[in-house]
Amino acid sequence: MSIKAALKRLSRLPSAQERFNIFTSISLNVNNELETSSGPLKGLLFGIKDNIVTKDMPTTCGSKILLDYKSPFDATVVDLLKKAGAVAVGKTNLDEFGMGSGGVHSHFGPTFNPLYKDGNFIAGGSSSGSAAAVAADVVDFSLGTDTGGSVRLPAAYTSILGFKPSYGRISRHGVVAYAQSLDTVGIMSKDLNVLQRVFRVLDKYDPKDPTSLNNSLRSEASKHLVHRNTLKIGVPMEMNQDVVPFEIRQALLKVIESLMAAGHEILPVSLPSVKNALPIYYTLAPAEAVSNLARYDGIRYGYRDEKQDIEDGTLFVPTRRNFGSEVQNRIVLGNYNLCSGSFKNNYIKAQKLRVELINQFDDVFRLPNILTGNEGNPNGVDMLLSLASMSLPISVQDYKSKDMRNPLHSYINDIFTMPMSLAGLPTLTIPAGNNMKGIGVQLSGQYGSDQSILNAARTLV
Amino acid sequence: MIGRRAYGTRLAGQKFKLLPEYKLRCGLEIHTQLCTANKLFSASTNSPFAAADKPNYHTSYFDVSLPGTQPLFNHEVLLLATKLSIALNCDVNLNSQFDRKHYFYGDQPLGYQITQHYSPFASNGFLRLRSIFDDIDQDSKIIEIQQLQIEQDTGKSVYKEQDSKSLIDFNRSNVPLIEMVTRPDFTDLKQIRSFLKKYQNLVRHLGVSTGDLETGAMRVDVNISVNDYARVELKNLPNTSSIFNAIKFEYQRHVDIIRNGDAEETLTHSQTRGWNGSSTVKLRSKETTIDYRYMPDPELPRITLAEDFVPGVSQLMPELPDQVLERLMSAPYSLSLKDAKILTINSNSHDQLYTQHQLQQFYLDTFKMYQQQAGESFNHKLPTNWIIHELLGNMNKLEIYLEKVVEILPPEEFSNLLMFIHEGKVSKASAKLLLFHILNSFKESNFKSTSSLDLSSLIKEFELDAIEVVPQEDLRQICQGIIDDLGDDNMIKGIISGKKKNSLKYLVGQGMRLSQGRIKPHLFESTFKDILGVKW
Repeated sequence: MSIKAALKRLSRLPSAQERFNIFTSISLNVNNELETSSGPLKGLLFGIKDNIVTKDMPTTCGSKILLDYKSPFDATVVDLLKKAGAVAVGKTNLDEFGMGSGGVHSHFGPTFNPLYKDGNFIAGGSSSGSAAAVAADVVDFSLGTDTGGSVRLPAAYTSILGFKPSYGRISRHGVVAYAQSLDTVGIMSKDLNVLQRVFRVLDKYDPKDPTSLNNSLRSEASKHLVHRNTLKIGVPMEMNQDVVPFEIRQALLKVIESLMAAGHEILPVSLPSVKNALPIYYTLAPAEAVSNLARYDGIRYGYRDEKQDIEDGTLFVPTRRNFGSEVQNRIVLGNYNLCSGSFKNNYIKAQKLRVELINQFDDVFRLPNILTGNEGNPNGVDMLLSLASMSLPISVQDYKSKDMRNPLHSYINDIFTMPMSLAGLPTLTIPAGNNMKGIGVQLSGQYGSDQSILNAARTLV
Repeated sequence: MIGRRAYGTRLAGQKFKLLPEYKLRCGLEIHTQLCTANKLFSASTNSPFAAADKPNYHTSYFDVSLPGTQPLFNHEVLLLATKLSIALNCDVNLNSQFDRKHYFYGDQPLGYQITQHYSPFASNGFLRLRSIFDDIDQDSKIIEIQQLQIEQDTGKSVYKEQDSKSLIDFNRSNVPLIEMVTRPDFTDLKQIRSFLKKYQNLVRHLGVSTGDLETGAMRVDVNISVNDYARVELKNLPNTSSIFNAIKFEYQRHVDIIRNGDAEETLTHSQTRGWNGSSTVKLRSKETTIDYRYMPDPELPRITLAEDFVPGVSQLMPELPDQVLERLMSAPYSLSLKDAKILTINSNSHDQLYTQHQLQQFYLDTFKMYQQQAGESFNHKLPTNWIIHELLGNMNKLEIYLEKVVEILPPEEFSNLLMFIHEGKVSKASAKLLLFHILNSFKESNFKSTSSLDLSSLIKEFELDAIEVVPQEDLRQICQGIIDDLGDDNMIKGIISGKKKNSLKYLVGQGMRLSQGRIKPHLFESTFKDILGVKW
């Protein structure tokens, strides 16, 4: 990418920031860095979700509790991208600590969807700023994180590409944990080529991350790729509900039609456990979250209540009161699931159901699962196609008032993205088409088959 | 408050005694810091005690729980944990896992401790106490070990009362610990005392930990119940005396409650109590108990061990202390228990001039050489007396480390010295002088005199060799001088009459002292008898 093109992108930043509230902090070194950058990603501008730590910009996680926090080290992903010549433009807004699907639960206020010039529509969350930065053409690509759909849903809402690789492919070292067993760094862009080049840079084993996929499993995975010109693509029946608005279902049908026209075989598949995805997710993720958030006591870094550390005999209450309402909801939910009375009935049960779900995915795919050791199904499919969302972006005001009436309302938004998170599957959200603003479909593959997904997407983009 | 004071005075005034109708049952929970080079989940140096004057010096980003950091398991811990598990006869879990235990505290930076709750590292072991080694009242007593778990240590809070602040030092944060939990098998204080000693020696012997209570490398919590009422957990017991004083106090408290008929009301729920130096005080009870909300750590892999790992470590295990004691107490060494323990039982490591391992090795090597040189006439007491008593005495007097001693007196040279004594070429008294001289002049040379030691010429130089032939006239003169100096006619009369035969030995002793042992005692005896005309 030429410096000229990069500077042109950069020139859009001030107005886009003002209109859509995309960034939580902006780098002042972009021009200098552009001039000296070199490497495979030379001259590409990118945004970093503000739950990924950086040395030269604050990392707030969209939370008052980490206001002005500056990390003494760069996340591995940031390090790799800088070394490859990409230039960070800023840190992007998000739902606090990645908890939310609307991009409205941030200490810095909501991010608005650049697709909708009139009115303030949600960009989707939690990687709201990362999606908006790409959609507003301020950056070439963004880093997001996806725990239950946080890259894929905003990608769909802003009609861009959003890739959640297989769990463990990209290092999490330096990613502020929401729920580690699910957290995955994702890449967002409008350009599949850029996305693939970025993935190539980031797709590396990191000894600093205990959950990083090791090199022997990586090479094992590279042996199981889809080498076909015409694919067998399954459409999960459980993910095609009548409650989904007609126009969204129509979008999926159109994609199916174009795939069939290209010679691919489409067939319905059944994944009955998908209906458990939401309860599994909301049992496991808040439990991990409440644990991960326990470190924010204000003693070593971050916000600390000026007056006191203890209230009513309980430590750190005055400080921790500064978590936002959605984070507080999930802390209560997580603690409930972990308390000794309910742990066996909830947490353990959810873990079992998660394994059941993974086994069902393994039954459907032709490729074997290198992690579970499950053999592939010879009659199975190469990939799965599904919708990324069950609704269109709505206005921030509507979103907030629906949330107010029922806090669970927004939890349902991630219903189509959660199953792949729970199984750690590589999944790419693709815009459904030119006239279908804010709608995306997901292409998912067996664990480890990331490259096959990206290659197959060429037919669809 | 009044009640508490009453217990205090009673304890102070009376000797503590267990009462047969009030049965004591105790279990121990011991936290032991492992002496690995690095911390449990980071590459920071593990040296919390040495760096006590440099707070927060050995801390990585993970140790202070910065956002975005992750735990990386230090596999060095596995070897130490497995050694201890084997020594405690435990079943090692080939697939254990780490769990998070949640509670807030200023010195716990994660807001939880990474420990092993659902599937600990080892379980179902035991340690056997024996009356011959361990000073217990029973012949033998088995203490069952419930489990061993690997976990993180916390940071350390330092309270500054004058400005009502607490400071936190994270040097200790994330240091590897093993928590060992026994079953409530202890029925008296002697068992507890001997178990603690034995466990402490074991961790030192295996090189697993320094085992020091005073530095906090080993920390002991006690579970206590009387007549099977609800148990009380005693915490914050920084040293041996507080452990035992707290148990005594708590036992007496339970007995009084039961005697007063209040047990059904007061002793039905478990409680956690601390020790304030004179009494136990309630820290937590049922109403304020913490739900730790244990959860498997979602990013740490399980600890999976290969089938042959434990057998492999067994091969690396040193002989255990009880076995060493048994060996040293039987032929050819035939040491007394006391002497065998000096060679075996590790004491506090920082103020000693030798490790037990070094001393034992020196003893065994010297013994072997001396035995070879002396052949069948060897005297097993000679190496013992000269190493455990004379050498150690001199080392302490001169403050010389054993590793220095062996530079000038390696086992073969020490064995030569023993042979001179064995063959009567030097008297014991001369040999003592010689040993002191050798060590002292080596120290004065600043441990630099490297010229090899020639014992024979030293003996000649200082005229320490035994005098085989003494002219009769010289001998008579010396003996007469001793009798004259004594000026005790009664004693002399007693000797002559045979009423005070032992007094003759006193005279001989004086002669030995005068000649520094170079003249054989039987020469003095016959000369005294001759001068005094003793007929018996």
